[in-house]
Amino acid sequence: MIPLSLQIAAEPATPFVTRLRLRPNDHTGPNDHIGETDHTGEADALFVEDDDGGTLFAGREGLISIDGFAGHQLSGDVLLVDPGAGRAERLLRSGSAHNTLLVTERCDQLCVMCSQPPKKTHIDRFDHFEKACMLAEPGSVIGITGGEPTLYKPRLLDLIEAVLTERADLEFHVLTNGQHFDLADVPRLRAPLYRRVSWGIPLYSHVPATHDFIVGKQGAFDRLHDSFSALMQAGARIELRTVLTSTNLHDLPALSHYVAARLRFVESWSVMQLENIGFAKNRWSDLFVDHAADFTPISRAIDTSLLHGIAIRLFNFPRCTVPRAYWALAPASISDWKRKYPPPCRDCRERDLCSGFFEWHPDEQAGVRVTPL
Amino acid sequence: MTVSCRTAQPMKVRALDEGSLFVNDTGRFFLASDAFAQRLHDDALSQAETDELRLQGNIIDPDDDFSLHSHAYGIAERLGGANSLDYLILVPTLRCNLDCSYCQVSRAGVNQRGFDWSDETLGGVLRSIDELATDSIKIEFQGGEPTLRPDLLRTIIERCERFAHKQFVICTNLQNLSADVLSIFDRDDVYISTSLDGSIAMHRMQRTGPLTDAFLDNLSSLTARYGPGKISALPTLDPRAPADIDEIIDTFSAFGLTSIFLRPINFQGFARKRHKQSREQDEGWRSYYERFVRRIIERNWLDKSSVLEESYFSICLRRVFQPGADRHVDLRNPNPVGVDYVVIDYDGTVYPTDEARMLARSGVIDLSIGDVQTGWNTPERLALNEASTNQFDPSCTVCAYQPFCGRDLIDDLARYGRVDIERTETEFCRKHLHIFDFVFEPIYSQDPAVRYSLAMWLRLPAIPEQLGVRIS
Repeated sequence: MIPLSLQIAAEPATPFVTRLRLRPNDHTGPNDHIGETDHTGEADALFVEDDDGGTLFAGREGLISIDGFAGHQLSGDVLLVDPGAGRAERLLRSGSAHNTLLVTERCDQLCVMCSQPPKKTHIDRFDHFEKACMLAEPGSVIGITGGEPTLYKPRLLDLIEAVLTERADLEFHVLTNGQHFDLADVPRLRAPLYRRVSWGIPLYSHVPATHDFIVGKQGAFDRLHDSFSALMQAGARIELRTVLTSTNLHDLPALSHYVAARLRFVESWSVMQLENIGFAKNRWSDLFVDHAADFTPISRAIDTSLLHGIAIRLFNFPRCTVPRAYWALAPASISDWKRKYPPPCRDCRERDLCSGFFEWHPDEQAGVRVTPL
Repeated sequence: MTVSCRTAQPMKVRALDEGSLFVNDTGRFFLASDAFAQRLHDDALSQAETDELRLQGNIIDPDDDFSLHSHAYGIAERLGGANSLDYLILVPTLRCNLDCSYCQVSRAGVNQRGFDWSDETLGGVLRSIDELATDSIKIEFQGGEPTLRPDLLRTIIERCERFAHKQFVICTNLQNLSADVLSIFDRDDVYISTSLDGSIAMHRMQRTGPLTDAFLDNLSSLTARYGPGKISALPTLDPRAPADIDEIIDTFSAFGLTSIFLRPINFQGFARKRHKQSREQDEGWRSYYERFVRRIIERNWLDKSSVLEESYFSICLRRVFQPGADRHVDLRNPNPVGVDYVVIDYDGTVYPTDEARMLARSGVIDLSIGDVQTGWNTPERLALNEASTNQFDPSCTVCAYQPFCGRDLIDDLARYGRVDIERTETEFCRKHLHIFDFVFEPIYSQDPAVRYSLAMWLRLPAIPEQLGVRIS
C-alpha cells in the first residue's frame, strides 16, 4: 500500500499546507506554467537534503523533516502538515489520479456496507483543502468524499467555486448521498464552472424500501429523487453508483430499466463490487455476492443499459471474473494506493487494464478466484 | 391513435401483427396484447402492471416534480441538437471525368472552364472555416470530382489544423489515383466515400463503361492499402430493376465493405419529368428492401466473421433505442437547415443540403440560402426553418413513430413543390412508416439469427435477453 500519512517533525505551532519541491522555479515541476496562483512559490517547501532516516525540506514555515522517504519520492506532493501530531497527510500525491479529500466524517446515512463508517464529530479543514487544491498539478481531477460532504454544502460549494474560478484546468468529483440538494441550489449549480464537477451518487434499488434499508434511512429514496430533480434542472453531471450486495443483486435488471427510463440524465452508471472494510468487513458473508458464480443479473443490467445508451461500467470487478464480452466495461477502478494483485496475476495479460483487488480483500478469496488471462 | 388514462401519460399506438405498440413522447415503448390495451383504456390495470409501467417511464405523476422533469428530459433528448456549424459540404469543382447516366446536372465536362472555385470563393470558404466557433469539424468534399483539384483539398485540410477533432470525407469516383491524391488519402483523418453500384455489370452500365477496370483496380488497391473502416461505398440502384441481392452483398464483401446503404436513384430534372413513377418508391422497392435486410440477417448468422448491415436500417434502429446517438442529418427532428451544416457550391452559392443544390441545378426550384461572401443568415433560411419540425404536425403528433422519425422539408419541396402537404401523403412519411414497421418486427423476434444481427447493429457487446418490453 502507498502510505498517505507521513511521520514528520516541523517547527510551527499550527497545521499548514505546503507543496514539496526539489528546486525553486522548477520548470519541470507540475505547476509552473498553468493556473498558478502561487507565483512566488510561497507555499512551497524546497528540498534541502536526504539523510539516513529521511529527507529535509525548508519553506516559509521553517524546516520539515520527513521520516522514511527520499526527497524525490515526495516531490510535487501537497501536504497538510500537523506539527503537533508529528504527522503530515499527503493530500495530493504527485502523479496520482486518485487524490481524494476527506472533508468530514459525519454522515446522515448509515449504509449497511459503509467502507468509511461515520463519526459524530467534525473537524473543519476546508480552508486547508482549499489551499491545497490551489496547488494541485495541472489538469487534475480531485476527489471529495466523506462522511457526507454536503452536510457542509455552503462551504463545500464555496470551495469548489473558489478553486475552479482560480484554476480553469481542474475538475472535482464529489461523492455524496444526494440528500441535501433542492431547487434553491439550481441557479448556483447552473454556473458554467460546474461542468467541471461530477457528483457520484448512490442508488441501490428501484424499490424505495430496499434503497432505504441499505442506506439505513427512511425516506432516503424520495429525498434522493428531490435532489435528482434539482441536479437535473441544473444540468449537473451525475455518476450514478450502485454497490452490489446480496440485498440488491437481484434488483439490478429492473434497476437498469429504471435508469434507462427515468434517470437518463446521468452521465454514467457505475456498478460496484463490495469493499471488505468498514461495516462490510464484519458482514462480509451476509453481504458479498460472488458475481462470477452467477453473472446473469449483472449481464442483464449491462445489456439493458447499453441498449438504451446508458454508459454503464463495472468497478472493482477483476477482468478474469467477468465474461469476455464485458471486459471493456471493467476498468482499473481501484485507487492505486489501496489496490493489490494476488501472485497469480503476475503473468496476466490484462493486468494493467484490470481493477485488481482492494488491499483488504480476503486473500483466500482473491487467490482462489484469479485466472490469469 | 392516442390513448390516455388517468394514470399513464398519453401514449400513441400503432397496430402491429403481434399486438399494439404503445409509444410515449420520450420514445419509451412496449408491445401489448389487446386485453391489456383494453384494461389500460378502462383504467383497470393491476398494481403489478402499474408498477411495470412506472418502472418503464410510462407513468407520470403530475404532483411529482421528479417524474415530470425526468419525462421532460426524455422529450428534450429526442429533439435533435442542431447547434453550431461544424460540418461543411464543399464542392471545389463541378467538373468530372465520368459521365454517369443519371447525373445530368451535378457535373461539368472535365475540361470546361468556370466550374471551379475562384480565388474569391476559396477565400470565402477559408474565412468561413476560420470563423467556426467549435473545436471539431467535419468536411465532406463533393463534386463533380473533387480529386481533380488536390491543391484545393490540401489548402482546405491544412486550414483545419487548429481543430482538436477533424474528419475529412472525400467523395470520389476513384477513377484516377495520382501520387498527389494518394498522399492526401494517406492522412489518418481522411476517409474515402465512393460509389459501387451493386454489381460490376451495373456499375459498368450506369457509371464507368470502358473505364470500369481502372476503378476496380483502384478500389482493390485502396482497400488493401488501408484495411477496413477507411473506405465506404454506396450503391445507387435502379429501383425498377435492382440488382440481385446476393450479388450486391458479394460484390461489397469482396472489397471488405460491410455497410451497404441501399439508395434508389433519385431522379432529378429531365429524368424526373420523363419517369413520373420515379417520383416515389413503390411496393416493389419496399419489398426488395425487406428481402435485402432479411438476407443480410441470414448471412450474418451463417458467417460470423464479419457483420453486414444496411446503413439506413441501422440508423433507424438506433434512433429507436438511443436518442441523440446519431447525427444523420437526413433523419432527425427538428431538422433546421443552414445551422450545423451547409453546402458550399463551386460558385460560392450556399445550399442547405446536397439535394437542394441538385434541385437548383436542375431548374426545379432555387433553394439557395445565401453565398459564402455574404453569409446565409437570410430570410430564405428562416422561411425554410419555419417548417423544419414534425413536432406540431397534426399527423405526426398522433403517430407512434414521431419520437424516432424526422423531417426533411427539402424532400417535400423536391417532390411536391410545397412543405404543407398532408404528411401521410408524402413519400417521406410512407417510407418511414414502412421502415419503422419493419424495424419493430425484428425487435420482437425470437429468432436467434435476427437477435444476433440486431445486437451487432446496435453495437452491443452481447445479445440482450429482450430488446422490447412485451406486456400480455
